[in-house]
Amino acid sequence: MTANDMGINALQKELAELSKMARLSAAVDNVDRIIEQLSAAREQVAQALDPHTASLTLTKLQNPTKVAFEKVNDNLKEASSAQKKFGKALNEHFPLKSLPADHDAMADHPALINRAIAMHLLREGQFSVASTFIDEAQDTPPHHALYHQLESEDTPSVELDEAMDEDDMDADARTSITASTTDNNDLSSLQSQELQTKFAEMYSILQDLKARNLFSAIEWARSNSAELEARGSNLEFELSKLQYVWLFKGPAVNRLPDDEHNGRFGALTYARQHFGRFQARHLREIEKLASAMVFAPNLGESPYNLVFATDSAFTDVAASFTREFCSLLGLSAESPLYIAVTAGALALPKLMKYNMAKRAKGTEWTTANELAFETPLPESMVYHSIFVCPVAKEQTTESNPPMMIPCGHVLGRETIQKLCKGTRFKCPYCPSEGQLKDARQIIL
Amino acid sequence: MADHESSKINHDNHLLLDQPLLRLPYELLRKNFRSAHFTFEKESTSVKNLLKETATGSLNGKTAPEDVVKNLDTMLAKMRGMKRKLAAYAEEESHLYRQVDARVAHLRELCDMHTVEDVKYEAWSRQRLDRLVVDYLLRHGYNDSATSLAKERQIDDLVDIDTFVAMSKIRRSLENGSVTEALAWCSENKKELRRMHSNLEFMLRCQQYIEMMRTGSQPKMVEAIAHAKKYIIQFRDTYPLEVGQMGGLLAYRPDTELEPYASWYSTDRWPKLADIFVEAHNKLLGLPSFPLLHIALSSGLSALKTPACHSSQSTIGSSQPTRSNQHSVATSSLTTSVCPICSTELNELARNVPYAHHSKSHVEHDLLLLPNGRVYGKARLEEYAAKAGLPPGQCKDLVTGQVYPFDQLKKVFIT
Repeated sequence: MTANDMGINALQKELAELSKMARLSAAVDNVDRIIEQLSAAREQVAQALDPHTASLTLTKLQNPTKVAFEKVNDNLKEASSAQKKFGKALNEHFPLKSLPADHDAMADHPALINRAIAMHLLREGQFSVASTFIDEAQDTPPHHALYHQLESEDTPSVELDEAMDEDDMDADARTSITASTTDNNDLSSLQSQELQTKFAEMYSILQDLKARNLFSAIEWARSNSAELEARGSNLEFELSKLQYVWLFKGPAVNRLPDDEHNGRFGALTYARQHFGRFQARHLREIEKLASAMVFAPNLGESPYNLVFATDSAFTDVAASFTREFCSLLGLSAESPLYIAVTAGALALPKLMKYNMAKRAKGTEWTTANELAFETPLPESMVYHSIFVCPVAKEQTTESNPPMMIPCGHVLGRETIQKLCKGTRFKCPYCPSEGQLKDARQIIL
Repeated sequence: MADHESSKINHDNHLLLDQPLLRLPYELLRKNFRSAHFTFEKESTSVKNLLKETATGSLNGKTAPEDVVKNLDTMLAKMRGMKRKLAAYAEEESHLYRQVDARVAHLRELCDMHTVEDVKYEAWSRQRLDRLVVDYLLRHGYNDSATSLAKERQIDDLVDIDTFVAMSKIRRSLENGSVTEALAWCSENKKELRRMHSNLEFMLRCQQYIEMMRTGSQPKMVEAIAHAKKYIIQFRDTYPLEVGQMGGLLAYRPDTELEPYASWYSTDRWPKLADIFVEAHNKLLGLPSFPLLHIALSSGLSALKTPACHSSQSTIGSSQPTRSNQHSVATSSLTTSVCPICSTELNELARNVPYAHHSKSHVEHDLLLLPNGRVYGKARLEEYAAKAGLPPGQCKDLVTGQVYPFDQLKKVFIT
């Protein structure tokens, strides 16, 4: 257990203790008591209406009210001391750590962040929140000046636009949902309606899959079969295969009507109708599915047991459907906003450590393009191959691409140029030599 | 670089973004208590005094029984008023403690998780994202969106809608040219603002003065001078320059082009006042000066970004929707999905952040070079060949779709 682990636990325990202390509500009860005393006195004085009763009642009232007021005061003191204890516990078990405060790189791009949030809400299926947000954000576009220096107010959008103009030459319309980014108000260029329609379709198909109905998914896969095939996806076949297995299991399992379209006979009919188109690519698997018929009475103990286990098959197929569906829209399967924020929380401690060291030494960023420190992320968050030139210890980029030399070793282009004596160089990792012209750029 | 170590949750530092979650209700509890205490002190003193006076008066015969009843009625009214107010503060207090309990329980959940691969971590991290998005929406004044998202996700106790809605009301009133709400807020938090040396109240008082001067009417300007005597002169030691300029303003009309008077008369003052207010408000409550989502994003975008994410070849956003592009969308696909930085949502936003630093290569095993210059792991090539139903001995480029015999491939060595 780490210190902070203990921390939140300890904090929770202290809070439980604190909840036993008096709170402001106790004061309210004692105020009520004063009110009772006052109104009782008032009744007495009002009934008698003679000076003697009045002064007697008032004299008798002095002490009890004084005591009652003191009680209220004590209640307040206790409530305040509970709070102070909470504050102390907070400082002790969840001590304040600094956050980046000097430089907000995101402040210049509220419109882009708004767009990312709108797309996130849409892909999460939060359609009504998304539409509220799009309306609100369009009514009150974000202003740049809000969270940073007022002076830089008029500059940022200009450079941004210039940077984007180059891309815009060929970016005009990738797919209709990809917003053109030169527009200042990025939400209006986001075709939210179209995106919403797409994601509504995705969720309706996922709903069907959850209800063990494969038809809408199969239909979608069929109408996108060319793109799916290009992606190396077998989704259409996987879905059809599952449909076969599902029918094969019969009404007892799938709870579909017990007729000639169901059960083993139904599965066979289905296979005859639909498997033909997959024969070229999936002949072996189709044979396997067909031969399973022989083992029908005790499939559980047959070699086909695994193929016919449907428990996780529907969840698996739903996950790969989501992935393919998003990929065809040019979007990642997981919400990028989710991944980025999670990665951000994981990397933040490194950033703070670096900032602190930087402040202590009084040095500045050395490179504008690359972080100055490593931010290790879990395997699942690594999406591209990364090649670090083993000599220069730098990542290769478009201007300094990885090159393979004849012996099969890979170096950054700049490294090879530096190694060169005339037109020849020696590989730093093996005895072989090469010529500059034999080095070839590779795409990792 | 990715290894087992990097997926471990570092409990010491994983909650950096979540500090305001507990700090804010603590500050609000304190503020709430101060108000309760102030009410009690004020009303109880006046009731106690009146009671004493009445008792003495009644004893020495100066106060008639009718007047005693009247005074008792006054005391009762005051006490009932006090009770009403205290009950509201008590209600707020228990609401805040409820929030604190819910938030501590939420943070506590993380203690039981040890790696980010833990299935429960995703749910937790999604809830954190929802919180950060709500915080962002509230700070931009998108209150309806924030409220409905919080409701959909059932995280009302984990977000601070009331605080930010109250803030955005005051901010909006300033943007619309009214100082009343902001001044009321100043007097509520007088002591704290003085302690943090905020210039908010001074700036608001100046603006009132400027607005009176702007009218150009004689009586209004006389009023302006009285206002300055009452509210502005007292700041002459703290803000000598500005106080002097206020005096100078008397000599200039609103259409002057002379600085600094032109800026004082400018309508741009209003959004600036709104910013000064927001800054003071956040500082007072210990809130970060910009949305937490910004912090998470700039750190996360950099950690995920690679030089490839914005290179001319593979950027999704910048190529034609041709068939070949459909391939390039699938760059790292087959089994993996599109990179979040390459995805439309974040690509533009990530353009200007630095990319992650790596000191070690991170590539697939058994790399093979295709004759067209592209390199893939052997396993992936074989898998794709099988899925594509190629005859044995052949492979297919995952991106371009070109088919080559396996024996034309060359081994690539990454050191």
